[in-house]
Order: sequence, then C-alpha cells, then structure tokens
Amino acid sequence: MENLLAIAVGAIFVNNFVLFRFLGLCPFFGVSKKTSSALGMGFAVIFVMTCASAITWLIYTYLLIPFEIKFMRTVTFILVIATFVQLLEMVIRKHNPSLYKALGIYLPLITTNCAVMGVALLNVEEEYSLIGSVVNGFSAGIGFTLALLLMSGIRERLELADVPRSFEDLPIAFISAALLALAFMAFSGMRL
Amino acid sequence: MESVKRIVRISIPLILICIVSGATLTVSNDMTKGRIEEVEERKINGSLSIVFPGASFNKMDDYYSAMINGEEMGYAFVAEGSGYSGTIKTMVGMYQNGTISRIHVISQLETPGLGTQIAEPDFTNQFSGKRIEDIRLRRDGGLIDSITGATISSRAITEIVRTRAEEVMNETR
Amino acid sequence: MKLDELTKGVFKYNPIFYLMLGLCPLLAVSTRVDNALGMSLGVLFVLVGSNVIISLFRQWIPPEVRIPCFIVVIASFVTIVDLFMHGYVPELHERLGIYIPLIVVNCIILGRVEAFASKKPVSHSLLDGIGMSIGFMLGIVAIASVREVLSTGAMTIFGYAIIPIFTETPATVMLLPPGAFLTIAIIMALINYKNIRKERK
Repeated sequence: MENLLAIAVGAIFVNNFVLFRFLGLCPFFGVSKKTSSALGMGFAVIFVMTCASAITWLIYTYLLIPFEIKFMRTVTFILVIATFVQLLEMVIRKHNPSLYKALGIYLPLITTNCAVMGVALLNVEEEYSLIGSVVNGFSAGIGFTLALLLMSGIRERLELADVPRSFEDLPIAFISAALLALAFMAFSGMRL
Repeated sequence: MESVKRIVRISIPLILICIVSGATLTVSNDMTKGRIEEVEERKINGSLSIVFPGASFNKMDDYYSAMINGEEMGYAFVAEGSGYSGTIKTMVGMYQNGTISRIHVISQLETPGLGTQIAEPDFTNQFSGKRIEDIRLRRDGGLIDSITGATISSRAITEIVRTRAEEVMNETR
Repeated sequence: MKLDELTKGVFKYNPIFYLMLGLCPLLAVSTRVDNALGMSLGVLFVLVGSNVIISLFRQWIPPEVRIPCFIVVIASFVTIVDLFMHGYVPELHERLGIYIPLIVVNCIILGRVEAFASKKPVSHSLLDGIGMSIGFMLGIVAIASVREVLSTGAMTIFGYAIIPIFTETPATVMLLPPGAFLTIAIIMALINYKNIRKERK
C-alpha cells in the first residue's frame, strides 16, 4: 500500500506539475491573466484529472495488460481523455447550463492539456494502485490550480506595474514563473 | 433512417483509421520487441559485470550468485526504491562476508545536475569495501558522504542499497 | 511560392517564439543539447508523418470527427517513435522519459494538422511540417545550449566536447526549473527588443 499522503504532497508541492514537471504550461500562461478564469480552469482541470486517472488506470489494468497491448497506451489514453472531455461537455451543457457557462469554455482546452495526459502516464509508470492514481490525479489538479492562482494573482498586479517594454506581457510572466518555481524548490527534500 | 446513415458515414472513417493504426502499431511492436527486450537485458548484464568484473553469474531466486573460477565470490542483486523524484534502480555487488564490492545505478530520475550525481563514480565508489552496517550517511552514523545539495537523493540510494543488502544477507545465510 | 511553406515555420511564424506552442517539452527536456536534439527529431518525425497522412486523406475525414481522427494518427506516430527509440537509442529514451509519449499533446502538432494539413495539398503540408519542426528545433536547441553551458560550464553533444569546461562552479540553478523559465523569458525579451527597435526605425 503506497503512502497516499506522500503522493498528495508530492503532486501538489514537491513535484508540482506546472513548476517542476513543466506540464500544462499552455493554459498556465494562457488563462492566468485573471483570477476568476484561473479558478474556473483550475476546477475543470481538477475534475478531469481525477476522473481521467481512474478511467485510464482501469483501462490500462483490465484491457491493455491482459491483452498484452501495452504499447497502445498512448493512443488509448489520448482517445479516452478526448472522449471523456467531450462527453462531459455535452452532459454539463444539457443538465447544468450555469455550470457550463462557468467551466464550459475551458473544457475543450483540456484535451490538449499535457497535464492530464501526463498524470495518466505517470500513474502507470509509477505503478500506482487505483486509489493511488486517483489521489495522484486529484492532487496534481490541486497543484495545477494552486500554481495557476498564484500566477494570476501576480499577473493582475503586474498589469499596474511599469515593466520595460521588451519584457511586457509574456517575458515578465516567465520571469514571475521562474521566481515561483524557485520558491517551490523550497519544498525539495520534504519527505513523508 | 437519416440519422443512422449519418452515424455510419461519420464513424466508418474513424473506425478504419483506428484499425489501420492498431495494425501498424502491432507491426512496429513486433519489429522492436526483440530489440527492446535485448536492451533491457543488456542493461542488467552490463551492470552485473560492472559490480563483479570477470565473474560469471547464476540466476537464483531474486539475486545472482557471482562465480569466479568456479568459486562463489558473492551476490549481485538489484535494489530498487523511491528516490527524491522517482524510482532509483541500482545493481549491487556484495561479497559473502557482507562487504560491498561495487554498486552501479541502472536508472534514476533525480534532479539533473544535483541528484543525478548519485550515479557518478565519485559517489558510488564510496560504497566499495564498506560493510553493510556502514552503508549510511555520515550524519546518520555511517561512512557515506552525501552530495552537497542532494542529501535526499544520497540518503535514498544509501537506504535502498542497505535494506536490500540486509535482505539478501538473511536469505543466503 | 512553395518554399515559403518551409521557411515561414523557421523564422516568421516560429512555433515557439511567435506562436507560443509546445512549451511543455521545450522547457522540460532543454536541460542538455543532446536531449533537445533527440526531442526535435521525434517531433520532426511525428509532425511530418501526421501532416502528410492527414493531408493525403483530408477529403475522407468527416469534419464532425476530425479531431479524434487526427489524434489517432498523431498518437500512432508517437508510439512508433517511442518504440523505436526504446529499441535503438535506449539511453536517450530513458532521459526523455514520459515526454516522448507526451509529444501527442504537443500543441504544435495538433495545431499544424488542424490549421494547415487538413486543408492543404500533400507537398505543402510536407514542407510545412519540416519547416515547423526545424523552427521547433532552433528554439529548443537555443534554450538547451544556454542552459547546458551555464549549468555545467561546458557543452558536450553526443560525447563530443564542443565547449571545454571553463568553470569549476557552474550555475546549477539553470538546470532546474527556474533556469528554464528565466532563459525563455530573456530570449523572448531580446526578440521583443529587436522588434521594437525595428519599429522605431
């Protein structure tokens, strides 16, 4: 039985998906201009990552391994994630229009979010159990949201700051990310 | 009727693509399977001859017994465990009296430039000639110097090697 | 002019510095020039392959399910790269790790296939794929060179010492995540600076 707390803390802080593993950088810079949209994106990612972890684990363990087609994992995982996101979008649109308004526009972006695919691959690579995978997926989502929120907070303030022209917008955002990553390095060496 | 037709029209290309993809990948898998197995095997064999140069090996349950000139010199075994950011896998060679002959890191995913130094000779050579009970970091009362800035990785590999060495010692006694 | 399709990806619409695509592998594997080159070759194969195949069959793919179709094609090429790298260049395969299967979600590839190859003839798509991959390679190798030189105090490509060791105390931080962000920030600022200067003239 793996240590679930260690998995969670690892995914949120020590090996933060965005700042340490460089996964999900496109939305990290794309939707971090406003805190409200960062939060919406964050929740959508947490939900999709948790479910995708469970689904891909089940498919890997009960389909790919018994039929000895482990090499099909990249194809299956990405298809499953894309299908799941598409279905989710349809269900939410039909049953909960207000939720759709809040999260809907972020869902299509998630298909190509490498963080979701990344967590699915890491789960099988690290040989986590079903529960371990779900915890890992959920925590990785939390870690992603945390980084996204911190970043959007910084960028909202940067709007008001007097930044040299060559550094405006993205370069300064990258510098902020560097400092954030440096701060997260302080978690290095935490061991549970 | 119209909608059934539409579904068929949409899904047939997708299904065809999936079938072609599956077939292509099965072929590529068959083409590379032998080589991949060979590569993985070579990793193990290569590291075996590093930890006990010139020896021949007999595979036992979960370790190898190293023979030189028909005489058992010691054991070689794979020690595996989690390091700072991923699994560390290392081959360990140990003489029968419980002294380490040499260790060789097979794979690790530590922080590049810091934790990865655990795989370099400067660090791994420290293990050679040490007794099991001394395989601890100095700050933990042993004889292994940890790498500056990578204490966690250093401690992880030290603990992994010692724990496994103790297990093998108990098994072979 | 056909040649434009090739060169536009390298300079004018460089996928990294102009389109801001493919950031994840860019920062994750740019710790060493070796890794960067290996990654670029993987991307080259996948992008050119997918561009050509999609372009060939573009009339047959129903628009409703085009994204799943693209994804399957791309993922198949990625798996081929993954398998052959594991068999023939195992060391590189191990260092690139999960970033090889993650080529599948590299936005450059889906982006080019969707925006270009699904609409244009094969020859154009082939050139577009090559151009964009070279553009990606230039970007990632540039970042990797800066990081490798600063973080190890030397540069070694596939065992050949390009720059001999010039310092005993290199800046290890450049190898760590902050260094990656810092490098790309400064490169982008330099590009902006150049563009601003040009505007003023």
